[in-house]
Amino acid sequence: MIRRVVASAAFAVMLVGLSGQAEAQKRNLVIATSQSDAGKLDPHLASAGADKGLLNYVFNALVRIKPGEANPEFIEPDLAESWTVNPAGIEWTFKIRSGVQCHDGTEFTATDAAYSLQRSSTKATSAFSGDFSALDKAEAVDKNTLKVTLKNPIPSLLGLLSNYHGGLMVCKKAAEEAGDGFGKKPIGTGPFMFVEYQPQQFVKLTANKKYWRGAPKIDEITYRYVPSDATRDLAFRNGEVDMVFGRQTDQWVQRTKDIPGVKVVAMEPAELNVLHLNMAMKPLDDIRVREAIAHAIDRKAMVQFGGPEATREAVSVIPNGNLGLNPKTPLADYNIEKAKKLLADAGYPNGVTIKSVASTLPVLFRISETVQGQLSKAGIKLDIEPVDHPTYHANIRKDLSGVTLYQAARFPVADTYLSQFYYSKSIVGTPTAVTNFSHCTAADKEIEAARSEPNVERQKALWFAAQEKIAKEFCSVPFSESLVIWAWRDSLDFGYPMKGSLNLMPHLTEKAQFTK
Amino acid sequence: MTAFLIRRAALAIVTGFAVLTLVFVLVRIVPGDPALVILGDYASESALQALRERLGLNLPLWDQYVEFLKGALMGNWGVSMVTGRPVIEEILKVLPWTIELTVVSLILGLLVGVPLGVWAAIRRNQTLDYLIRVVSLLGLSMPAFVSAVILLLMFAIQVRWFPVISAQTGSLSAWFQSIALPAINLGIIMAAYITRVTRSAMLEVLQEDFVRTARAKGVPWNAVVWRHALRNALIPIITITGLFLGIQIGNSVLTEIVFNRPGLGKLIVGALNQRDYTMLQGMMVIYTLIVVFINVLTDIAYGLADPRVKLR
Repeated sequence: MIRRVVASAAFAVMLVGLSGQAEAQKRNLVIATSQSDAGKLDPHLASAGADKGLLNYVFNALVRIKPGEANPEFIEPDLAESWTVNPAGIEWTFKIRSGVQCHDGTEFTATDAAYSLQRSSTKATSAFSGDFSALDKAEAVDKNTLKVTLKNPIPSLLGLLSNYHGGLMVCKKAAEEAGDGFGKKPIGTGPFMFVEYQPQQFVKLTANKKYWRGAPKIDEITYRYVPSDATRDLAFRNGEVDMVFGRQTDQWVQRTKDIPGVKVVAMEPAELNVLHLNMAMKPLDDIRVREAIAHAIDRKAMVQFGGPEATREAVSVIPNGNLGLNPKTPLADYNIEKAKKLLADAGYPNGVTIKSVASTLPVLFRISETVQGQLSKAGIKLDIEPVDHPTYHANIRKDLSGVTLYQAARFPVADTYLSQFYYSKSIVGTPTAVTNFSHCTAADKEIEAARSEPNVERQKALWFAAQEKIAKEFCSVPFSESLVIWAWRDSLDFGYPMKGSLNLMPHLTEKAQFTK
Repeated sequence: MTAFLIRRAALAIVTGFAVLTLVFVLVRIVPGDPALVILGDYASESALQALRERLGLNLPLWDQYVEFLKGALMGNWGVSMVTGRPVIEEILKVLPWTIELTVVSLILGLLVGVPLGVWAAIRRNQTLDYLIRVVSLLGLSMPAFVSAVILLLMFAIQVRWFPVISAQTGSLSAWFQSIALPAINLGIIMAAYITRVTRSAMLEVLQEDFVRTARAKGVPWNAVVWRHALRNALIPIITITGLFLGIQIGNSVLTEIVFNRPGLGKLIVGALNQRDYTMLQGMMVIYTLIVVFINVLTDIAYGLADPRVKLR
């Protein structure tokens, strides 16, 4: 009898213990990024990918790209519930959501939104002020109404106001009080609040229990800076880290997929790998030489080299997935004989040597070397000058490179990439320079017209035409796109399918949780 | 001793000033635009220009130098161009981690290296001597990042005695867990170096007349080696250890990166990659002061080890 009572009691205790364990769901998330340390944690100054991704958890914007997507076609309300625009496309009125609290307890109103837009459009306080050059004024009509007036219509104001770059909204009181020190303790309205920063180690965020979309199901995020690839991989394998930034290689993807309980995703947006051909430098001023280079690059082989899990073939002179992408852009076919003939016609029957300033960043340098190998088959000798990454960026902007390999994604509206890389006012070395390394001017008319075209279909047609012209002029030779690779525990449920994120980091919302 | 310290302090100031000037010029000669690194590659030329003006990078070099010197003399080392945080604050936050790692690896290096060196010397040209010399050569030749990854694979992944990410605080066991593998990694190199130096120094001292006399008088062999011979071999050991310590602080960057510990090495590599001029200037002066301080400590150690040495 006593034995039976003891056995029953023991069994009951065991059941209670097990049920307690089953309910002890993990609520702390550890993320490892490849950045070596935090940069500026001010949303209007953060330019590093890892900083932008983190700040997306702390701040909201007027609108957001639906979590899990990287396409502006999926823009949805965020701090702004709704909006209207006048027929000229110049006056926008936003209805600001009521009852939203900043992390310091103050209420977020149209005044904060107006202040935020002023801040992000001012050179002294924003790295993205150039994006807002068309902004005339932003004013709070009343507590919940924001009026934005533009100097001229632009292709995507909602894109600018989304949770990307300068669109993140700061709280006026906190920002004014902190001044230049706002980045030390960022205050926003997002699902997670800044707690602490330890140099070279981590940033800690805690759940904002009063978040207006609902309290997060994750209590704490530790965002670790782990620059060593090997350490990051081992920490992930060891269970010390729940989500990790991966390497853009098939080997890494396969190796990581083999770890039990892990999910690996190649996310949008893909960064376009492209050779910009400097038409201001001989012999690239000759279109036959440029065309020869285009025919000497085997896009399929470049995808094979990068690995099909992490790489895909380029489709146009702008990245795939961009609004306004022309899927029928006439890219050159791979043809070594044609390349040689073109060179001979241009007066280089024995081949040609062209200088290329190349970054020694491993992810870029291996591509440079592969391109060099491909071009050599057509008699084009790429004279690579390897320099460290900051020097590479400085030198290509000084027009020192003939062939410039560049890997980049931009806000996925055709105008952004076209304007920065193929518009005459963006030519490097000029007062309005951005990243037009090729000195391309082939599609200026179309790019300008598309900017102010109110009809969506006509705008698209102009962008299509621009891409066609640029391709036919051989301003650049796009060949592949590299996707962003992340891995996480398969028990981490984001609350939506994770296909992409403009900030290059999975977008964590209040819905994210561990299922065990 | 006081005069010695004052003279050394004055020398440190002059050295720091010279290094500061050299670094100021060198970092600005290296190509690369800090404004571009800070704002990102999509920044327009006008935004870059605006930032260069704000950071004072558009001023003539001489004006920038004078501004910096004025600030440095008033104790204002400026803010990091990349993060906007005060340079001195950033350095002081990671300096204790570097000092901790260097001191612990030095202690490990001495505890392992000195006895191994002594044993190798007293068993000269025997199996133990060859074994110790081969092992120390391996220790010297093995790149720090390779040994670091091997240690992680063995002790963090295979047997799980230690975490992969080493920077932990809060309790003694957490501290031990965080320092053990990085200190062993740096300690291996230290021990290898000290082993070879100790062996050479001991071999020389063991040939001295006083050693033969002590043995003839019947002093136990252990006492001859560890009390008399080793003490006389200490001067070259202290010299080389002091020199190597200064180098190790710089070399710790690979260990810091693989074990993900904060430290001066990581800070300086990051500042160099980002062309953070103000951080680089501050870091170089700190490094100079550290090296000078280590040299002073080395000199003081001479005086303690050898009563014949008088510090003036």
